[in-house]
Amino acid sequence: MNLTDLLRMSLGNLKRRKLRTFLTVLGVIIGTASIVVMISLGLGMQNSIYQEVEQSGGLTTLTVTGKSSGDTMMGYDGQNSDEPTKYITDDTIKEFSQIEHVKLAAPMYQMSGYLLKGPYIGYIQIVGTTREALENQNIELRPGGSLPAENSGQLEFVFGNGLQTQFYEKNSGKGYWDTGEMPDVDLEKDQMFLVLNTQAYDNARSGSGFGSGDGGEQPGTRKAKPAQKYVVHSSGVVAGGPDSYNTHFYNAYCDIDTLKMMLKREFAGTAIPGQPQTKSGKPYKFFAYTSASVKVDDLDEVDAVSQQLRDMGYNVQSNVEYVESMKSQFAIIQAVLGGIGAVSLLVAAIGIANTMMMSIYERTKEIGVIKVLGCSLKNIKQMFLMEAAFIGFLGGVIGNIFSFAISGAINFIVGSSGESMGFAGNISYIPVWLMLVSMGFAVLVGMVAGYFPALRAMRLSPLAAIRNE
Amino acid sequence: MESVIEVHNLYKYYRVGDSIVRALNGLNFEIYQGEFCAIVGTSGSGKSTLLNMLAGLEKPTKGEIVISGKHIEKLTEDQLVSFRRDNVGFIFQSFHLLGTMNALENVALPLSFRGEKRENRLKKADKMLDLVNLGKHKKHIPNQMSGGQQQRVGVARALVVDPKIIFADEPTGNLDSHTSEDVMKLMQKVVREQKKTLVMVTHDDHLATYADRVFHIIDGQIVKIDNNYQENREEPKNEKN
Repeated sequence: MNLTDLLRMSLGNLKRRKLRTFLTVLGVIIGTASIVVMISLGLGMQNSIYQEVEQSGGLTTLTVTGKSSGDTMMGYDGQNSDEPTKYITDDTIKEFSQIEHVKLAAPMYQMSGYLLKGPYIGYIQIVGTTREALENQNIELRPGGSLPAENSGQLEFVFGNGLQTQFYEKNSGKGYWDTGEMPDVDLEKDQMFLVLNTQAYDNARSGSGFGSGDGGEQPGTRKAKPAQKYVVHSSGVVAGGPDSYNTHFYNAYCDIDTLKMMLKREFAGTAIPGQPQTKSGKPYKFFAYTSASVKVDDLDEVDAVSQQLRDMGYNVQSNVEYVESMKSQFAIIQAVLGGIGAVSLLVAAIGIANTMMMSIYERTKEIGVIKVLGCSLKNIKQMFLMEAAFIGFLGGVIGNIFSFAISGAINFIVGSSGESMGFAGNISYIPVWLMLVSMGFAVLVGMVAGYFPALRAMRLSPLAAIRNE
Repeated sequence: MESVIEVHNLYKYYRVGDSIVRALNGLNFEIYQGEFCAIVGTSGSGKSTLLNMLAGLEKPTKGEIVISGKHIEKLTEDQLVSFRRDNVGFIFQSFHLLGTMNALENVALPLSFRGEKRENRLKKADKMLDLVNLGKHKKHIPNQMSGGQQQRVGVARALVVDPKIIFADEPTGNLDSHTSEDVMKLMQKVVREQKKTLVMVTHDDHLATYADRVFHIIDGQIVKIDNNYQENREEPKNEKN
């Protein structure tokens, strides 16, 4: 018997029992869909992590921190090592760049600042670094944007694409997250005022009460020096709208030397907040950076370099470690999620076996007849295996279509709230290989479930057909 | 005449509980090429067992069955299937047409087991259905046909593979007497025209008279062989009209 004949007979038999076939296929659909959706969730998470890693300089970039300096939004946890004793200064950066396999060592300084624009005040995270380090981060800018110029004396920013969500109305104190209305701030075009001395500015505001902030001269309190406002504008904005989260979402990047210069001017005579001080409150001569970004030229050397940096007394964080720890976490998550899905497919497999068994009992006579008429044992087995496989295949295909629908729905529902949870892109992601593998798996499950019934059919005695009742 | 089937010392015992039932008890006979044989006996006489064994559906306890020079008692199940596929046509008491297929497809079915092409199969089946006068019912499924029509499809199905031997197990058992006569005549005609060997099992002495030779079997032994060859071969000329 050739393949098309076998197929025709198998399909004819399935068609004959439409409802039963449908119910059995339904089991496989649910099984396949649950596996695919579950795994797609794991993959989606994995993808967003990888994306994040890619955005923050890939796997070969190390973040080196010394004794804390600057004020950062993210607290570095000192869990894995003792508190480092050294600061990261210009000298250390130089030292780092001497290390073998280090392609680039750049200082980073993070601090918070205010941006003023009309009735709005934006609480921003300023990240100062060198142009090289910014280039290394592969930040994709909106068309027309460029990275900040070096040592221009004018502070220029690359704004994160979600920065306008950080703006609040001065009077009401309400922002995007409260009202759901996007503040009327154009990051690309608007001129804004930058406040570096946030403490003085806060003091001034609380001293004079709310409501006087129209950008004019602040009366200020009797403090030594009122907060200066600097006119700044953007040199570029990170690609994407305020609804697509990425690692640069809330950051404002600028040139570190310019930032340093401005800080020194702003806080002349006093210690810059966050900078190390002597016991008497006087600043040191050097400027301590928050961290250093060290780019290693070879992925295999990342471990060696980070060990060397640790030996020098610094904390080192690399994306490799991050990814490694994430990987093992994802393996567990995916195993659990996939396991849940697999249970339902197992149930579906039992369903297939049951259906095939029933159909063989029903068709005992028919099987006997075709045996008497000369249908070979192999053909009979193939016929039943094919039926079972087809149930699996049909379930696999529809299950995948179904999964796409579910996945789309999940992404749609979670998508709007996803970015605030820190997920970049889609939470559920179905790659082509997952589709193909799941379909193949469904067919395989069908065939395995159908194998013993098929053997049974093959071994049925042809005499059963001859016997007259 | 050349013998197609030779049976030597054929025994078949069944174990039923503690006792042993002797279904066939030492049979010896020959069936010749182009012959129409009937095996007649009451139920329990062992006639069906004999037919099953000739068709290779059951293994004998002892003895030899040689069909066109081949010892079929020694074949494995797989070999038996291919032996049947190539040499044997089968007509069943309760027709056993496949309910999902129409008459044409049912007739073509055994050819598909041989791996013949679909067009060829359908062409041959079409011819066979014309031969059994079912030209108008080719597209009907078994449920839409009468018992007599169904059995004629059965006959066509047995013939389509161009077998050396056709086995018929009570082919008229489920038919009324009038239709039975029709079917018997059809089979007789086919045997004559196509020079086939037909072995039929029946309990009806009257129907057995259509056969050239009649084996009477009682308690697993052949007690009498009637030879109607002379009458039958002259008579049908009138009967056919």
